[in-house]
Amino acid sequence: MRLFKKTGNTMHILCFPDEEVEKGEYLLIEDEKAHKSMIVQVIDIEFANVPGVMEEMLRSSSIEEFVEGEDDDPLDIMSHILYIQDARLLICKVHGTIVNGKLTSESSWLPSRTHSIIHKIPTESLVKLANIEGSLPIMIGETQDSFPLAIDAHQLDGRLSIVTGKKGTGKSHLSKILALGLADYGAIVVILDLNGEYTSLGYNQDGSKNRYYDKIKVLSPGKTFKVTLYQTNLYVIMRTLVYALGLPGTSAREFRHIWKFLEKTGRLTLHDLGEAIQNWKCNQHVKDALYSRYSALVNSGFFTDNMAEAISFEKMLRKTERNGGGIIIIDLSDTSPSDRQMVVEYALAKLQEALSQWKIRAVFLFAEEAHLYLKETYWDDIVTRMRHFGLFTTFITNQPNTIHENIYRQADNVFLLNFVNEHDLQIISRAARADAETITSIVRDLPSHHCLLLGKVVKDFPIIVKIRSLNVKTMGQTRFFFAEKREI
Amino acid sequence: MIGQLQYETTPKYSFPRSLKDAGISKRIVELSLNSMRTASGRIFDVNDEELASFFTERVDDKYQLSIKDGSFPASIVPLRAIHDETPIIGIDVSSIKIGVTDAGAIYAVRGAVVTKINNCYRYVRFGPLPFHITKENIHEVFSELSRDLSVRFHLPSYIDSQIYLCNIIEKRLRAYVSRLVRRSIILWDGSLTAGMQRNLINDLSKMLRTARENSNIVMGISKDTSLKFIGWRITDLLNGYKPPCLFEIRSPSLSHAGSLRVLGRIYVARLAKGGCAFRLDIDKAIPREESIVAVEKLIGNEMLYQGYPETLRLAHIYSTFTASDVIGIQRLLIRKYGLKLVAHNNMHRTLFGPYGTRLGD
Repeated sequence: MRLFKKTGNTMHILCFPDEEVEKGEYLLIEDEKAHKSMIVQVIDIEFANVPGVMEEMLRSSSIEEFVEGEDDDPLDIMSHILYIQDARLLICKVHGTIVNGKLTSESSWLPSRTHSIIHKIPTESLVKLANIEGSLPIMIGETQDSFPLAIDAHQLDGRLSIVTGKKGTGKSHLSKILALGLADYGAIVVILDLNGEYTSLGYNQDGSKNRYYDKIKVLSPGKTFKVTLYQTNLYVIMRTLVYALGLPGTSAREFRHIWKFLEKTGRLTLHDLGEAIQNWKCNQHVKDALYSRYSALVNSGFFTDNMAEAISFEKMLRKTERNGGGIIIIDLSDTSPSDRQMVVEYALAKLQEALSQWKIRAVFLFAEEAHLYLKETYWDDIVTRMRHFGLFTTFITNQPNTIHENIYRQADNVFLLNFVNEHDLQIISRAARADAETITSIVRDLPSHHCLLLGKVVKDFPIIVKIRSLNVKTMGQTRFFFAEKREI
Repeated sequence: MIGQLQYETTPKYSFPRSLKDAGISKRIVELSLNSMRTASGRIFDVNDEELASFFTERVDDKYQLSIKDGSFPASIVPLRAIHDETPIIGIDVSSIKIGVTDAGAIYAVRGAVVTKINNCYRYVRFGPLPFHITKENIHEVFSELSRDLSVRFHLPSYIDSQIYLCNIIEKRLRAYVSRLVRRSIILWDGSLTAGMQRNLINDLSKMLRTARENSNIVMGISKDTSLKFIGWRITDLLNGYKPPCLFEIRSPSLSHAGSLRVLGRIYVARLAKGGCAFRLDIDKAIPREESIVAVEKLIGNEMLYQGYPETLRLAHIYSTFTASDVIGIQRLLIRKYGLKLVAHNNMHRTLFGPYGTRLGD
């Protein structure tokens, strides 16, 4: 390999056919005279612009079909000509410099074209240099050079992360690995499970219980997840009514009065709430608005007056923390869109309440397709404000345009799976943790179940990983009409 | 012992293999290798500008002929295609300057022979072969190369080395083909003319004679001719005539035209409808009628692209060097002979920096 040119932080390296280099791999440009080495990542591979190749191909393609023959090439020059014609140009991005064995972010120097030696740097060396694994490793999978890559759980702590990729590329699978990894280190993980894909995390593929079984709680709203109004304080119910059920300001004010009245009289039940709204002296439109929301609360099945069937979400969180971490899965698969919003608002409000009162330390929230149950305006709140309370979110989506640009910019970690759609790639490239060229070029060619890790988890060295398998019972698979035929 | 039937192939149909097996390349390869050994470890200067100029096409009938007005009896011969599967053989050779060493220059030569036999095209490509030509070895290389041709080349000037090298290899290839094939039409790129030196005339005459002895007919086709008549290029004289047709130029002055000896009968030929007109030289020793029949066989048995024979077109394509060929050859030379590549020393840039350069420098 030979250094060809440098433009900005892009290096062009000439590579010959017998040198195997793949997109995503790291190269070390060693300049012994300067006593420095530059680390670059291959983000694209092109054919070198060898003069005359087009002419050669045009003329050979026009005659090869009907002319046979042989070459009497005693010096075997043709092999050299073909070697030249197959030369490739590696488009690389500069990622830092090694001086005296230490990694620095310096990239302002220029290695020598004539005496620099270029070779691949094994991921193992890179991981050691950049101290990527840390003290709380979560095994993600194998890199291109078969190195088992683990990320440091510390780098998910207090961070905003995004897992995105087109349908069927393994987003949920990766999220399960992250969630279980965090739970292993005692973290509380709450998963907003849109399709019921995580409900079997406590089971092996053969259906037997796995070591996580006792750490996993699955909550099904209206079934195993019901709450009383008494457990739900005014702040939580107001958020639910305003954000999830769209209660207007004036009506919200009246509701506050009703709630306080019931609270004072010790009659904070669904039944009494309904009666109070009916009998409350206020504008009829306000009364209608309040009653329609009340009906929604009742019909959701999420609220109950029966203390025996209600659970305390807050207690569950505290218990999980006491037991050394675990995963609470809120299964939203059988919940209607409006009820879904209500449940999520309730859960988030309770989380915020518990966190702000230091009842629990921190929660890792995994939100699948968050746009389906959270209003766009609310995301900023989660990302910016609630992270200070200790709510660290991981957004999981196959529609990158549903995540607000601000979130991409603030994301500390991005786990990118394959995308081919130009529009999607453009949106993803807004992630501030890597340059747009790297993202669009590498992600486009990622095979299924391969992920490009960006951000703090890889110390800003984008790394391609083949995600490891997980012995967990698979749920949420697409149901096929021709399933039997497929099995045959 | 189990007997095995031995089939003997007709010589003309196994021609391409015969060419390779005949060891045509052996001496040339040895000479190439010997000359290249003298380049070992030398400084090697690749001048792209110079290289570009060597990609230019040569003029096919490089010898200047003139037809005196009034001495130009000519006749139009309409042609009729004869389909009889006569084999057609096209020969072409290309050369290029690869670079300069501190002792001389390195050239590469490549030849191609394309045959059309039984309606199938086949090619044999010979080379590329690099030659390091220096003041010390120039005489040895050229006399060795021309030895089999029974021709004594006078020492070529250093500047003409590339042309000489190309011509000698082409002559050798032509000579081998004339000897190896039978009852074929052999197409040369260029005209059937020679300089007035006796050895050059003998050389060409001998090749034509060998071809005749093997019942072959040699035709020289010039893509670009300098022959003019009353200020018109002779290829323009066929405008208005229905192709395929021949226009024979019978000028007594052409037999000994200045310093040239014309060994062919000169025609202007338009061989296909919509095609171009070319100068066509046919061995003068072949009777006129037979020559015309040979052209009719060429039309009947060859594919004509823009009126130009496909075998010759393919031979040209296969022999010509592209820029990537040159880079490949340069790579071989550096790796195999340890040539030390240096950047071309541009005197203008050295002396005047950015102010002394011409447009494109």
